[in-house]
Amino acid sequence: MADDSPASHRRDPIKSSVGNVAAQRRRQNAVTVGKERRESLVRAKRLCRVGPSGDGDVPGEENDMVTDEEGFLLDAQTSSAVEDLKSAIAYQGKGAMQKRVNALRELRRLLSKSEFPPVKAALKAGAIPLLVQCLSFGSPDEQLLEAAWCLTNIAAGKPEETKALLPALPLLISHLGEKSSLPVAEQCAWALGNVAGEGEELRNVLLSQGALPPLARMMLPNKGSTVRTAAWALSNLIKGPDPKAATELIKVDVLLDAILRHLRKSDEELATEVAWVVVYLSALSNFATGVLVKSDAILLLVERLATSNSLQLLIPVLRSLGNLVAGDSHTTSTVLIPGHEITDGVIKVLVKCLKSDHRVLKKEASWVLSNIAAGSIEHKRLIYSSEAVPLLLRLLSTAPFDIRKEVAYVLGNLCVTPTGGDGKPNLIEEHLVSLVQRGCLSGFIDLVRSADIEAARVGLQFMELVLRGMPNGDGPKLVEQEDGIDAMERYQFHENEDLRNMANGLVDKYFGENYGIDE
Amino acid sequence: MEWNPETLQFLSQCFLHTLSPQPEPRHAAESSLAEAADRPNYGLAVLRLVAEPSVDEQIRQAAAVNFKNHLRTRWVPSNDLNAGPTFSPILDPEKDQIKTLIVSLMLSSSPRIQSQLSEALAVIGKHDFPKSWPTLLPELISNLQKAAQSSDYASINGILGTANSIFKKFRYQYKTNDLLLDLKYCLDNFAAHLLDIFLKTASLIDSTASSPGGGSPATLQPLFESQRLCCRIFYSLNFQELPEFFEDHMKEWMGEFRKYLTTNYPSLESSGDGLALVDQLRAAVCENISLYMEKNEEEFQGYLNDFASAVWSLLTNVSQSSSRDKLAVTAMKFLTTVSTSVHHTLFASEGVIPQICESIVIPNVRLRDEDEELFEMNYIEFIRRDMEGSDLDTRRRIACELLKGIATNYKKKVTDIVSLQIQNLLSSFATNPSANWKDKDCAIYLVVSLATKKAGGTLVSTDLVDVQSFFLSVIVPELQSRDVNGFPMLKAGALKFFTTFRGLIQKPVAFQLFPDLVRFLGAESNVVHSYAASCIEKLLLVKDEGGKARYTSADITPCVPVLMNNLFNSLKFPESEENQYIMKCILRVLAVADISSEIAGPCIAGLTSILNEVCKNPRNPIFNHYLFESVAILIRRACERDASLISAFEGSLFPSLQTILANDVTEFLPYAFQLLAQLVELNKPPISPSYMQIFVLLLSPDSWRRSSNVPALVRLLQAFLQKAPNEVNQEGRLNQVLGIFNMLVSSASSDEQGFYVLNTVIENLEYGVISPYMGNIWNVLFMRLQNNRTVKFQKSLVIFMSLFLIKHGATNLVDTMNAVQDNIFLVILEQFWIPNLKLITGAIELKLTAVASTRLICESPVLLDPAAARLWGKMLDSIVTLLSRPEQDRVEEEPEMPDIAENVGYTATFVKLYNAGKREEDPLTDVKDPKQFLVASLAKLSAHTPGRYPQIINENLEPANQAALLQLCGIYNCQIV
Repeated sequence: MADDSPASHRRDPIKSSVGNVAAQRRRQNAVTVGKERRESLVRAKRLCRVGPSGDGDVPGEENDMVTDEEGFLLDAQTSSAVEDLKSAIAYQGKGAMQKRVNALRELRRLLSKSEFPPVKAALKAGAIPLLVQCLSFGSPDEQLLEAAWCLTNIAAGKPEETKALLPALPLLISHLGEKSSLPVAEQCAWALGNVAGEGEELRNVLLSQGALPPLARMMLPNKGSTVRTAAWALSNLIKGPDPKAATELIKVDVLLDAILRHLRKSDEELATEVAWVVVYLSALSNFATGVLVKSDAILLLVERLATSNSLQLLIPVLRSLGNLVAGDSHTTSTVLIPGHEITDGVIKVLVKCLKSDHRVLKKEASWVLSNIAAGSIEHKRLIYSSEAVPLLLRLLSTAPFDIRKEVAYVLGNLCVTPTGGDGKPNLIEEHLVSLVQRGCLSGFIDLVRSADIEAARVGLQFMELVLRGMPNGDGPKLVEQEDGIDAMERYQFHENEDLRNMANGLVDKYFGENYGIDE
Repeated sequence: MEWNPETLQFLSQCFLHTLSPQPEPRHAAESSLAEAADRPNYGLAVLRLVAEPSVDEQIRQAAAVNFKNHLRTRWVPSNDLNAGPTFSPILDPEKDQIKTLIVSLMLSSSPRIQSQLSEALAVIGKHDFPKSWPTLLPELISNLQKAAQSSDYASINGILGTANSIFKKFRYQYKTNDLLLDLKYCLDNFAAHLLDIFLKTASLIDSTASSPGGGSPATLQPLFESQRLCCRIFYSLNFQELPEFFEDHMKEWMGEFRKYLTTNYPSLESSGDGLALVDQLRAAVCENISLYMEKNEEEFQGYLNDFASAVWSLLTNVSQSSSRDKLAVTAMKFLTTVSTSVHHTLFASEGVIPQICESIVIPNVRLRDEDEELFEMNYIEFIRRDMEGSDLDTRRRIACELLKGIATNYKKKVTDIVSLQIQNLLSSFATNPSANWKDKDCAIYLVVSLATKKAGGTLVSTDLVDVQSFFLSVIVPELQSRDVNGFPMLKAGALKFFTTFRGLIQKPVAFQLFPDLVRFLGAESNVVHSYAASCIEKLLLVKDEGGKARYTSADITPCVPVLMNNLFNSLKFPESEENQYIMKCILRVLAVADISSEIAGPCIAGLTSILNEVCKNPRNPIFNHYLFESVAILIRRACERDASLISAFEGSLFPSLQTILANDVTEFLPYAFQLLAQLVELNKPPISPSYMQIFVLLLSPDSWRRSSNVPALVRLLQAFLQKAPNEVNQEGRLNQVLGIFNMLVSSASSDEQGFYVLNTVIENLEYGVISPYMGNIWNVLFMRLQNNRTVKFQKSLVIFMSLFLIKHGATNLVDTMNAVQDNIFLVILEQFWIPNLKLITGAIELKLTAVASTRLICESPVLLDPAAARLWGKMLDSIVTLLSRPEQDRVEEEPEMPDIAENVGYTATFVKLYNAGKREEDPLTDVKDPKQFLVASLAKLSAHTPGRYPQIINENLEPANQAALLQLCGIYNCQIV
């Protein structure tokens, strides 16, 4: 627990010589600035257009496109629906409850009508306090359901619109408990999932208000839609970057069993949501990673990878597997032991992903391989002699940039042995020579030329191996022949000190004043 | 420093005087300021002065510069001990006040002060932003919004300029969670505002440009500058990965980007400055789309076709123009990125490649006025770009990179088209050589630049032309031209071709041209005679298969007198006085040719006269290095042939070397000591008295204080000890030598040098001479061992003890050590010798220590004593480890130590002279194989007391080492009984 923080991505400080980082496992960054590459099914925020239990009127697909005029009309209708709700709540006479439900249903209908719900109008008309009132304890299920549904779609809006839900959060959370009916709990979970998807600030509010334990308990039953929604909401809630929530989640009693059960038995849609929970658990919390690697998780992930062809499922499963390999050395040292069936299975599914047409799979599979390749010498031999190497070599010269970069880490790791202290990595000459002979050097030198500094670094590190390690002192000639000197000289005055020192150091050492004096 | 009228007065006066043309008041003011800078709140006071409207603008400007530099050294003072003097840091309260003031001050200043303050702000930002300066970004944003409302572009550009500098770190730092958090913070707060101002400015440009007359340049200029800054910020924010906001708004950005590439703005572009401004924006756009193309080509794909055609037609125009370099280069880089990407099929359709070649590549490869100017005015820079690959950002080079890029997927097509173009260029030249000479230059450039290097590094080949026939028909006529000064750029191109393809030109053909090369050394053009020298130099390095030099001394000796004469003469051309290409050629010729005394005489005269000249003001370190190498190789090779020449060399060189020593020409001292060492070694005893004068100088501790001198001095001292051991032992000199050893060995940064001195003494002097000093030597070493025992030191100590044992016997070793302290030998043995022995590296060192250790356990009574059986076993264990395991398994590299040498404000470094080098000498020539020596010695020893040693071995050696020892016994057929 001591180091239970997102593995700081900072690697050992590198001295002026080229360091040993090539042999380290790399975790994905916990912080992302890019769009989340999650398919629409698991978007961070989701509109609820069809009720969780399948009721509610199905909106016609044809009215998806809203013209300005229609939008204006919708806004006007929404304002008056909120007014109606206000008077329905004020009304205390006979049939008051039905009146409230009707008013809520009308508002919910308007908020579910199109891809672009009239959230702004609803908020302006003062919907939130009314909806909060409708969530009060003892209200009938139907009323709770409709109110939560309205809130769900308001929360799916823009950031400030999501934030408007703040007063409703305590009640939404309290309706998650076992005493609530499943449809109500599920709808509330959906609303909360949208809130959690907004960002760190709201996630922290939810966590401090105790949203996590009841959501976690919703993972336990076998009811598909409830588990799906809860898993999705949880994956939003534990996103971090603070690892605390992820650690707290894995500690919830029997949660791990539920995750494993769903991974083992569920349909692909549910397994996908659960796999995303595993992604965040393993990306953020070392503790959770430690628990997962000692369970059957890896085995189940590998089975899913082997049997499924659903991209939406394969992505989180592959990512989870990668995190488990990267995050805990237990994975490579005691689970994925070369010679065991499961290890061969992993290599096989990774090769399958490398062969796929989908670039995300190729990239993530390379990343996973790079982390396995950072393991023991036996791991390196296993990969080296597998079907992966020819595929990797081809990818290094033809694939899009982000894949080439990951591939470079794999091939680089295959050529060095782990070092304990801070000495330079030792070479595996056999691997280095054969990979260089099969033409990989130019791919690495291309990376040195790229605008990406991480890629440039792995390129330079590989060049250092070639310069130092090719037999008969052939390294410098090979590097020169591939225009490597030119590539390194680009860093002569680079702002990144580390790269500058590496490149200049290599040029000085191998191509300095005396180079060629005796040619 | 308090802010009051006196301070204002004092600072104003100082800054005024710093602008004075008179040195005295200027120096006085500078030193008062330097002194004041150490006081708290100095920076704040200077900043206030900058803000004081009543003060003269030029004073405030000087103050702003001073403020920026003050921050640079003191905001976060460097903790690098080698970086020079350390400054007292600015304290936090002062920092906070500066941070509160600077943004508004910067925005309200005049442009010159603004740019200084903006840089100062960037210095702060580099360390403090965003975590320790949370108010900066909100402050910038609110000012930006205000300025945008009033369309105040002076402020807008000031703010954008600042944002641009603080965001630059995202372009070069590693992707860590911390960095991403900072980036996320900037994106969350700034990305939307950036887009807003970008779109607002874009619509202002559109409306201005569409007004009658296309708008006034004065209105448009700040708008274009603003867009350029937005583009640079875009680049920084998008560098690490594609942020969600930018992905969501890609359409808006790309729409405007494309507009700037495809629209003309005649009212601006009609002036040179205006065109440059628009081009800068276009270049910034090209960098952005290249970034997307390289890293996010999937998301960018939808825009690719449009951009490719926009850039293509833009380039077609730009390529015809002689300025606009930066735009041409960035635009070609974009196309290069596309050509090597997964979307290279854009180039596949019929006619695309020929058109690119014709309308983009060829025009950019053609010589332009700027190239001719550079050729004339700055030959060194021209050669660097033309020959040595420093042309990364020139149009010629990038045009060729584009061709290479396209050729990765369409090699055949590119080859065919370029060959055809080359033929066309050559026939155009043929119709009118003097008017169309640039066509020929272009053809030669293409062939050379597109050649591919083959295995072996120096072998080059090309599919574009048949090298042999191209050489004969195109290059040879240039080389045989009688006029060495006509069309110098063509001559240079021809020489470059010859140099590049030297391996492919058959010896008889090349050899025939040798006199022509020698002739071109007399060309007036600096580039041409440099290339001629370089070509000769490289030809002499060509190796045939089997590694034998193709051109031997027999080949060149007949023409060496003329060649040398021309080489020395070409050093007389203006600006070639320190021409490194010529000096390198001299070095090479001296390395290959037969050095008869007829050649040696003029050469040493020529070289010493140059040496005397450069001593006055050493400028070009490369030239100087080759000069000293030339002297060294001349001495070595001439004296190898004729030892009597040595006195002639001494006669010529001594005055120069004495000048260097007497005038303390620091850059040359290490060279001078190495040459002296070389001369001493060539001498036969007795050494002449003039050397002994130098020996006295050598013993002065002052000579040793500069660390750059130390390796050369050690080398010289070794030479003296070997050649003049008796002289060394006179007049207390040995005591002085050991004093130097003492000084060097007590510091971790020079202890290795200290051991060199000591080892040389031990190796070259009789035991009787050194024995009185041994007690002292051990004391020094043990003291150091107590104070600072680095692994390096311990290894050096083991080597020294081994050498001592080999030279003077185990008994002397043990006795002299124990004389210092009872029984210390066994302590040292157990604690240092045994554990460090297995860390020894280097073949000579390994053999030395292994043999010495073997002799110790087989000869020394201390170890043969049954009481020492355990130590005996441990020692053997260590020896076996040393001998049986590969280096990387037994040696863990010592973590690098920060090296804090006692540099006395000196930056020259020691450069080893290759040709004055000392052969590594093996002190143990009689033992060939230390493994055999070990087992044979053990077998002999054990035969005296059968049964004793196997038991000790069994008890003390690691199992792996026992097995290894057994194996060795098998190999050498010896037995330990």
